[in-house]
Amino acid sequence: MQNHGQVDAPPAGAKLLGMPKVLLLVAVVAACGGGLEPEPICARTLVGLCGTLRFRGTIPDSTDNVFIAAYVTFPQTCNDLINNRRPFIPGSVPYTDSAAAYSVPLSSGTYQWVVAVWKKVGTLTLTPSDTALLRVAGYYRSPTDSTQPGAVTVPSGAAAGDINFVANFDSLRPATDFVTCTAQ
Amino acid sequence: MHRAIATLLIVVAPFPAAAQGVVRGTVRDKDGAPISGASIAIPGTTLSTRTDLQGQFRIAVVPAGRARVHAAALGYGPVDTAVALTGGDSTTVDFTLRAAPLALPPVDVVSDRVPHFGDRPATSVAQVTERDLDRRAVNTVEEAIDHVAGVQMVNGQTNVRGSTGYVQGLNARVLMTVDGIPMNQGDRGGISWDLLAVDEIEGLEILKGAGSSVYGSAAFGGVINVTTRDVPAGLHTRLRVNAGVYGDPPHPIWRFRDNPGLLGGADFAASYGTDVAGGRISVGDRHSDGYRQQDQDDHLHFAGRARWQHANTRVDVSGAWAVDRYDVPLSWCSRGKCDDKGQVFQPFMVDTTERGARTDSRKGYLAARVRTTVSPQFAWTARGSWLRTHFVDVRRSATEYGVGDRFGAAGQIEAHPESTRTVIVGAEAAFSDVTSDIFGSHSQSEFAAYGQSEQRIGPLRVSGGARLDFLAVDGGSLTAVVSPRIAATLNGMWRASIGRGFRSPTMAERFVHTTALGFDVVPNPWLRPETAWSFEIGHTRAPLLRFMRLDAALFWTEARDLIEPQVLRIPPDTVRIQLQNVVRARIAGLDASVIAAPIPDRLIATLGYTYLDTRGRLVGDSTEGPLAFRPRHLLTLGADYNVGPVGLGADFRFASRPERIELEGFVDPRRVAVKVLDVRAAWKSGPVELRVLATNVLNYIYNLVPETLAPVRTVTLTAVWSQ
Repeated sequence: MQNHGQVDAPPAGAKLLGMPKVLLLVAVVAACGGGLEPEPICARTLVGLCGTLRFRGTIPDSTDNVFIAAYVTFPQTCNDLINNRRPFIPGSVPYTDSAAAYSVPLSSGTYQWVVAVWKKVGTLTLTPSDTALLRVAGYYRSPTDSTQPGAVTVPSGAAAGDINFVANFDSLRPATDFVTCTAQ
Repeated sequence: MHRAIATLLIVVAPFPAAAQGVVRGTVRDKDGAPISGASIAIPGTTLSTRTDLQGQFRIAVVPAGRARVHAAALGYGPVDTAVALTGGDSTTVDFTLRAAPLALPPVDVVSDRVPHFGDRPATSVAQVTERDLDRRAVNTVEEAIDHVAGVQMVNGQTNVRGSTGYVQGLNARVLMTVDGIPMNQGDRGGISWDLLAVDEIEGLEILKGAGSSVYGSAAFGGVINVTTRDVPAGLHTRLRVNAGVYGDPPHPIWRFRDNPGLLGGADFAASYGTDVAGGRISVGDRHSDGYRQQDQDDHLHFAGRARWQHANTRVDVSGAWAVDRYDVPLSWCSRGKCDDKGQVFQPFMVDTTERGARTDSRKGYLAARVRTTVSPQFAWTARGSWLRTHFVDVRRSATEYGVGDRFGAAGQIEAHPESTRTVIVGAEAAFSDVTSDIFGSHSQSEFAAYGQSEQRIGPLRVSGGARLDFLAVDGGSLTAVVSPRIAATLNGMWRASIGRGFRSPTMAERFVHTTALGFDVVPNPWLRPETAWSFEIGHTRAPLLRFMRLDAALFWTEARDLIEPQVLRIPPDTVRIQLQNVVRARIAGLDASVIAAPIPDRLIATLGYTYLDTRGRLVGDSTEGPLAFRPRHLLTLGADYNVGPVGLGADFRFASRPERIELEGFVDPRRVAVKVLDVRAAWKSGPVELRVLATNVLNYIYNLVPETLAPVRTVTLTAVWSQ
């Protein structure tokens, strides 16, 4: 019988016996590091603001989530409330414990209103009609006059820390307490 | 015309019984051990078979006189021999194959559809053999495919040379066939990987590049053919038991449970066969605690197969039924959605809003195949199949369900009118329906006819053909798609092909109506088929530097009308998501693999590398960008060392960080490169085999799709007893 396919082991192969070892070593070295790592909420790389949100009151059954938004200027209308929100799609804050650490990535600059927003279950449309699902749960207050919103300045390439304030589930206020909404 | 009819009659007419004989025998290695799954063929004819567990084979209807018999098996050098056969008699031929790890393995994937002379096809085909499945001790089909060069599994979706990307649960741009029968879901078009137990599988073949000219819709980026175990002669039983443990998160702050997660399962199969008939039944069960929160999985399956052979006709009937109940960790926990211990994200936990999400899934298939070898020059095959899938998704917001069926029928004729020419023609029909609260109640009909021919001209083999598909949704007007293909090989070393691929939108894509990311997803019944032209040129060289084999291919695909989700803003205040034919894309790259055997029988090392350059743009937009979920570099390294009954091995997979993902801005964009090292050890003695497999041994934490953690370090022990 003929055998067309046999390839005999060459002496030259012995020179490369170490190849698999080298490949394995490359693999092990390459696999070290670089994966997903824990990231503290107030991360060193954060550009924005961070702090602690303390909760008071009874959490409503219809709660979907709580998020924090910031505004460069105090919004005047419902339209401002939605369209001038930073970030446009905010991350949520854990609300089941009495306090939660939070951070909000923002570009550098001064923000006149940093607000905790309660959202009830429902679908958002990214339009002023979203205000029907949203309530103001609390906002950062001026250290010198606690009746007024406090301005926060995010430094260039860094974070503003210790922006601590309270969200009160027993005192959720509609957007119309703060801005003018023509139609929803 | 008269000459053609006369030729056909000569070809179709069965040979007189007196002019035929039977060739039977065994295939063994140099130590006398049987080689199962070896390919035995009479070149230039329709006559071929494979060896059973004892290495035995039998080919009937062999014309009397001198016949050339070709034997080949993965890892062994092929052998040709000539036998003299008397009409009505049988001849025994025993082959002894010598180990030759660099020899090109025989390929069966296209033998069912593409005319050939028993040679390698003119398109790239990757293989996962029974030996690969065994030594890797994989527990699912997906795990087996993930190590193939140029192929990446992305959260259950197969990405062959960057064709698919990732769209959750609505389609697949790769077709899966089981023993040649299409098995993509009737409603969603996806692949139910858990339908088949890995212990039922003898091998996998992955046809890379557009395969629609042969296989029709869904073979847009490639075809994965699963070959199930045949029923050997005699009584055989096989028991496979495995148990394992998941590693803890590498950072204590990510720990989410007090005890490690466990997994385990058992499969049992029994078969009995004679030369005439045989059958096998199998049952299996497995459980996994999962490697993250809310990741439990329970699976139960049954499978059966029967064969009957009389003279020159063989009938195969097979079926399987699987029941799954698995928790769904929809996305990892982002800030504020769980006890994140002050972390921005906790990949091992899920949002409180998604607690309790799970899927109950049942699926099964029934298939039958009849093949009659009328003469050495003519054979026909008929197939029928029924695939049923049923799922219930239990979510906090809603419970969704879907029931889908796919009925298929096909007939095919294979002819070898001359020793240098082969022809295949066939027709297929399929009917799919769905009843679902998110997809509605709809149906889709598909009809197709195809023809392929291959001509040998000296060292050159040229093949070409085309397929015509008609599609109709809900009994509406037919959409026609033509898929031509032409290919050539020179000296078996150089190959080139060009072909057209297409994928018909699934009923799920057309009619899905649900909510995602807080937005309404609305149906689009007017979706058109995606189409693509694919070109490939490849080269195989063995031996290279006396101990290596190289296979490399350059590929280029131009795709149109790719279906992607689009955000619609409808004034005054509505935002919706809809799937639309909006993307034109180019996918080009290099796919290369090297096998080195510096010590034959002892040490084998493999390297696979794929470079992908993708460009896509929305229709009406001149801005180009990389396609989502396509890593630019894919690298796989492997090494196996065997000494007597002991084997040691390792695999490494690298995929570069995808440059783009879908819906960026709406999902957590974190993603990293894939760097996974697996190690394994095996020991075999008589009917008993023990294997230890540690996957992701460095516990590298990564994700392939947004907010979905890929598997952590897992150690499993598998014991197999086969008799």
